Amino acid sequence: MKNQKNAPKGLGALLNKSDTIIAILLTLIIAFLWFETTKFEKVPALFSNNIPPEMFPQILLIIILGMVLIIPFEHIFLKRNGKNIDSSRKTRVANSTIGTMMILSIIIASSQILGAALTIIAVSILLPIYWGERRLKVLIPYVVGFPLFVIVLFNIILGVHFEPGLLDLIKS
Amino acid sequence: MEDIVKGIGLLLEFQNILLILSGVLIGVLVGALPGLSSPMAIALLIPFTISLDPVAAIAMMAALYCAGTFGGSITAILINAPGAPPAVATALDGYPMAKNGEPGRALGLAAVSSVFGGVFSLIVFIFAAPLLAKLALEFGPAEYFGLAVFALSMLASMSGKSSLRNLISGLVGVLIGTIGIHLTTGVERFTFDIPDLEEGIHFVPVLIGLFAVSELFKQSEKLNAVVERIQAKALRLPSLLELKKLKYTILRSSGIGTFIGILPAEGSTVAAIIGYNEARRWSKEKDKFGKGSPEGIVGPEAANNAAAGGAMVPTLALGIPGSGSTALILAALIMHGFRPGPYLISETPEFVYAIFGAMLIANLGFLFIGLVGAKFFSLVAFIPKKLLWPAVFIFSMIGSYSFASSMFDVWVMLAAGLVGYFMDRHGFSAAPLVMGLILGKLVEESFSQSMIIHDNNFFALLESPVVLLFFVLTFLSLSSPFWTKFFSKK
Repeated sequence: MKNQKNAPKGLGALLNKSDTIIAILLTLIIAFLWFETTKFEKVPALFSNNIPPEMFPQILLIIILGMVLIIPFEHIFLKRNGKNIDSSRKTRVANSTIGTMMILSIIIASSQILGAALTIIAVSILLPIYWGERRLKVLIPYVVGFPLFVIVLFNIILGVHFEPGLLDLIKS
Repeated sequence: MEDIVKGIGLLLEFQNILLILSGVLIGVLVGALPGLSSPMAIALLIPFTISLDPVAAIAMMAALYCAGTFGGSITAILINAPGAPPAVATALDGYPMAKNGEPGRALGLAAVSSVFGGVFSLIVFIFAAPLLAKLALEFGPAEYFGLAVFALSMLASMSGKSSLRNLISGLVGVLIGTIGIHLTTGVERFTFDIPDLEEGIHFVPVLIGLFAVSELFKQSEKLNAVVERIQAKALRLPSLLELKKLKYTILRSSGIGTFIGILPAEGSTVAAIIGYNEARRWSKEKDKFGKGSPEGIVGPEAANNAAAGGAMVPTLALGIPGSGSTALILAALIMHGFRPGPYLISETPEFVYAIFGAMLIANLGFLFIGLVGAKFFSLVAFIPKKLLWPAVFIFSMIGSYSFASSMFDVWVMLAAGLVGYFMDRHGFSAAPLVMGLILGKLVEESFSQSMIIHDNNFFALLESPVVLLFFVLTFLSLSSPFWTKFFSKK
């Protein structure tokens, strides 16, 4: 009874809040990309019988926009089929996920300074520790063994070029 | 016949057999590890196989693809957590049978029906692919455009919650494919003055980001999840009497799976669910379903493995991927300098037969590996996530970087991972985006060529009966939610 009282009415019941935000965001991106297509270089007369380079992306943007505008109302059709679009997003993004995203971004940003080997070691140490792995008898063999295995396999056996980074500075 | 012998000959080198068996082993392993999937493993494998001989590289991926589909059933049966989406339906009866004290029997039924489904679809593949390719040789750009549009429309019914969102994902993939220099005019599109974007966005980092890194973010939410495991000492093969009882279910599901696999964009998951439903519909013991029915195991298992072989038919014969994994194999073929489609079969038939041979070996290989290693594979699901996923990230970074020795690609991988994670949260699947990205070039090229041929008159395309047929099929595919409802009410 209480839920029924609190249930949104009118336009609020038709629109799904999260999907409306997504639709607005996507529409803004589409508008920006459309604007970009208007700035494409003009084609020389030699190629004038080809379709212009902006035509295909513009057709796609129009079709995508048409579909995006349906998204806020889609939950109504999905509900009728017993599907709940909100089930996977009813909880907030976990702090551990946000932290993981930040750690990985920082590691990639610093990988050019660190070099490949130290980056691999950094991932092997930071991520398990951040995720709560505290067992030293597991961590130590992993932190030593896994990077060594990766370096031997990819750098030495498969010949993938690994940037030396900081290790080069230390050597010199 | 000569081409078949040549194809098998290409495979019989020691290195190739070793790579195929490694593909099978990796496939069963990733299939058995919840969270890891065969598309992810293929995406990670692509950059490292670029330097290999194309036969060895593609054969390894094809073997991994077949084995990964079976691997998912191991954890579905033993811990009620499907290692891969196609094994979802297997868990419905596999886990109850294991709980009833017969884990070895459940695994044996899954393995034998998987092998049967796989081999059945390969037999269809060997006959259907050349026929389809022969037909497609008659296609001009307009027909190809019609086919590609039809394939894109089929993305709507790919797995996921929403057809609309699948279509948007697919079209966004096509749009991403337009980044870079326009081949026919030389005009830069969406490059934002970034030199790395002039060549367009590389497939590999996008694929790795969408399949591996986004999954890592998802897994970081449930690091402490505890699963209950049922001990399986060995895999027990079903008796001849039992197989005799189940033969119609296996045969029916193999047919369903192969057919669904051949349809563009319809993968093993859809096949497995339909295989399960049909097994139940035809069963004389419907009440046993959900409680450990053997038919409930062989139905989805034969179907999902048959779909894996079926999906290779449009991939190799038309250049239109049949599923997410075959989209990645298609990307690998393009990177190895092949032109997937009818010319692949007409010009290098031995190569196609070599892939066929690899898949055949893979099907027999995972039965053998399952027989000797069931106990081991039931344990791999317990590798701590806190150690497994950092390793996956390291492989992802190296894979993205080594493809073009570019840090830009590593950033693209991370961006694709973030986008993939948020897409999944909001009901947008990554697989249609990948298929759109791979089909994008074909769609634009065939559209441009058709427009030039027909003096920019779009309606002139409809003069071709084949194009018309594809457009009708596209309409039927997009309107299927409405007419299936209409007919089911009647």
